[in-house]
Amino acid sequence: MSADTKMATAGTAAVHNPIVIDEKLCIRCNLCDWICPGDIIYKIENDKTTMPEVVYPDECWYCGLCQSICPTEAITIVFPDVMINNKSDVVRLLGKIVD
Amino acid sequence: MTDWRTIDTDLLVIGGGVAGSMLAIPALEAGLDVTICEKGRVLDNCGSVGCGVDHYLTVMESGAEWDTAEFLMKHIPTLTDGIVDLDVTRRVLEEMPRILRKIEDMGVDFKDPRTGEYSRHPSFGLPGAYHINFEGTDFKRRIGKHVRAGKATLLMRTMALQLLVEDNVCYGALAFCFRTGEWVAVRAKAIAVTTGDVNRLSMNASGLAFDSWHFPFNTGDAQAMGYKVGAQLANMEFTEATLTPKGFSAQGLNALVSMGAYFLNKTGERFMFRYDKKGENARRAVLADAVVNEYLLGNGPIYVDCRHLPAEELDHMEATLQVDRYTLPAFYQQKGVHFRDTPIEVSISELTIRRSGLYFRGSGLSVDTTGETSVEALFSAGDCATVSGGIAGAAVLGHIAGEGAVQRIRQRGNAALPEIDWEDANRLRAGAEASLTRDSDLGWKAYEDEIRSTVTDYAGVRRTGKGLKLALETLQALAKKEDTVKTDNLHGVMRFQEARNIRLNAEIMTTAALARTETRTRSAHRRLDYPETDEANWRKFVIVEKGGDGVPTVRTLDATQPLSAAFARTPNAAAGRIEHVS
Repeated sequence: MSADTKMATAGTAAVHNPIVIDEKLCIRCNLCDWICPGDIIYKIENDKTTMPEVVYPDECWYCGLCQSICPTEAITIVFPDVMINNKSDVVRLLGKIVD
Repeated sequence: MTDWRTIDTDLLVIGGGVAGSMLAIPALEAGLDVTICEKGRVLDNCGSVGCGVDHYLTVMESGAEWDTAEFLMKHIPTLTDGIVDLDVTRRVLEEMPRILRKIEDMGVDFKDPRTGEYSRHPSFGLPGAYHINFEGTDFKRRIGKHVRAGKATLLMRTMALQLLVEDNVCYGALAFCFRTGEWVAVRAKAIAVTTGDVNRLSMNASGLAFDSWHFPFNTGDAQAMGYKVGAQLANMEFTEATLTPKGFSAQGLNALVSMGAYFLNKTGERFMFRYDKKGENARRAVLADAVVNEYLLGNGPIYVDCRHLPAEELDHMEATLQVDRYTLPAFYQQKGVHFRDTPIEVSISELTIRRSGLYFRGSGLSVDTTGETSVEALFSAGDCATVSGGIAGAAVLGHIAGEGAVQRIRQRGNAALPEIDWEDANRLRAGAEASLTRDSDLGWKAYEDEIRSTVTDYAGVRRTGKGLKLALETLQALAKKEDTVKTDNLHGVMRFQEARNIRLNAEIMTTAALARTETRTRSAHRRLDYPETDEANWRKFVIVEKGGDGVPTVRTLDATQPLSAAFARTPNAAAGRIEHVS
């Protein structure tokens, strides 16, 4: 785990992992690292012994490019509760009035 | 300098999305040496359409009365609320049919496989069925493949930090690879910045910084780098928001409205007609603004309703739902709703500094009809340039700018490029790397959160002079905190540089918004203290440039003029028509 991830998880809530990789299906091929537009997945190249690592889960765009390119369908994109059951007040996004 | 990688090339393209890739193509075809610098790792899937695209706006000259550049041009002033660079827009419209054919030649199939015809739809208030709805999963891959075949030098996972300029002529850029830590100095006869719009700028329903409608890795890098070397920016006061499924800032609004979806408020009223006679077919700026208003009136939640649509339209919608955002079907599935039988709750998205929810008025670096900025040999296209029109705008202006760059490169010939000032270069590098060894509690995420809350609260969809001044003070105070931000690794250094660019763009936006004492294009720039559109005084561009003291300065230019009339390098620039705003 990177220093950044450690810092992020040191807070009150654990960081949601959006990119779930099935170890049994993953063939350690590097394509998910290669295609990720956000520099979020790291995989040691030409090394079949190591798994790809989702190093910066809170910077995921939920684009699913990693899932779409995975040759063995080892990747599932999982949305956090704050996205699928969002209860936030939209009005608070519309600014504050300064008198 | 022994520990810098140095490259001399003809054309340096910063940003390998649709605009940058299309820009590289004319240079590659002319046999020139091209280097592309890109934060992603693969040209085929970078940029806002990394996943694909489901619609493409174009004039086709099919024979229909509306299907010509001339016809659409007549409607451009109305479509852009009177503020648009008419000269550059005209060039873009006129080139559209040629560039469409060129993209088809690269293997993109715009036709509907069910009919073998182009499936053209009217949407977003345009005066004709200019949008081709198509299955564009492979759109960017085809273009990327074409660029790779041209054998450009690719600098991947590399972020450009500074342009090299001498006497208002650009000659290269400094960049670093955030995977290896390698620093690269590129000298070029022409440079293009095509890094897109400004995201991670304000908050949205999920509160997740990287959950954005547009690419969260587009952070106004071109605008910030251009500004620092004296390039002119315009229309930066205008922001854009869209309507998204609540909780997931995903694309797909166009597909819904062009198929005939309704928007309903909490009482079940189909309210869009109260805001525009075109109802759901109004411009994006109108749709977003109507939802803002409904929420403020207490009429939220707002829903998008597809239940009335014919089964075959719903089938088509379902089949293409994943084109723009691959994960949208998974989102609905995990949420447990289906648009066939359930109205889906929507939210207003976060803001981006882009093209105000309308076509052709871009926000960013001012360009002339060849795509060249106010700095000679520096070109721009796509969502960071002042004429922008979605994917098609990026493709067409990108290609135009590529041809412009080829001309500029030929004009420069074999004249020697300036030597790089290594002392300056090493200062930039030491400054960027200093965050790695700093003893501080302030990380880039907390720093960036402050930008977002400031913009959301005081410079977002409801603006006042007082609020904007408060935002400006806060953003300028944040600039002073940059020297206290700590990063943990090269990836963090890159993200912090992005955050700095977002802050600078927010400061430029706020400065421009403060100057424009009127409301224009609804929530794209709504001043509660100046609620009316002021045609008599404000049919003008707000131009922002770096002032002598380093802070943004503003002047205005009558919108009947092209922005290039205010370029210092333009012969006979209409300097007399430019008014300075205090």
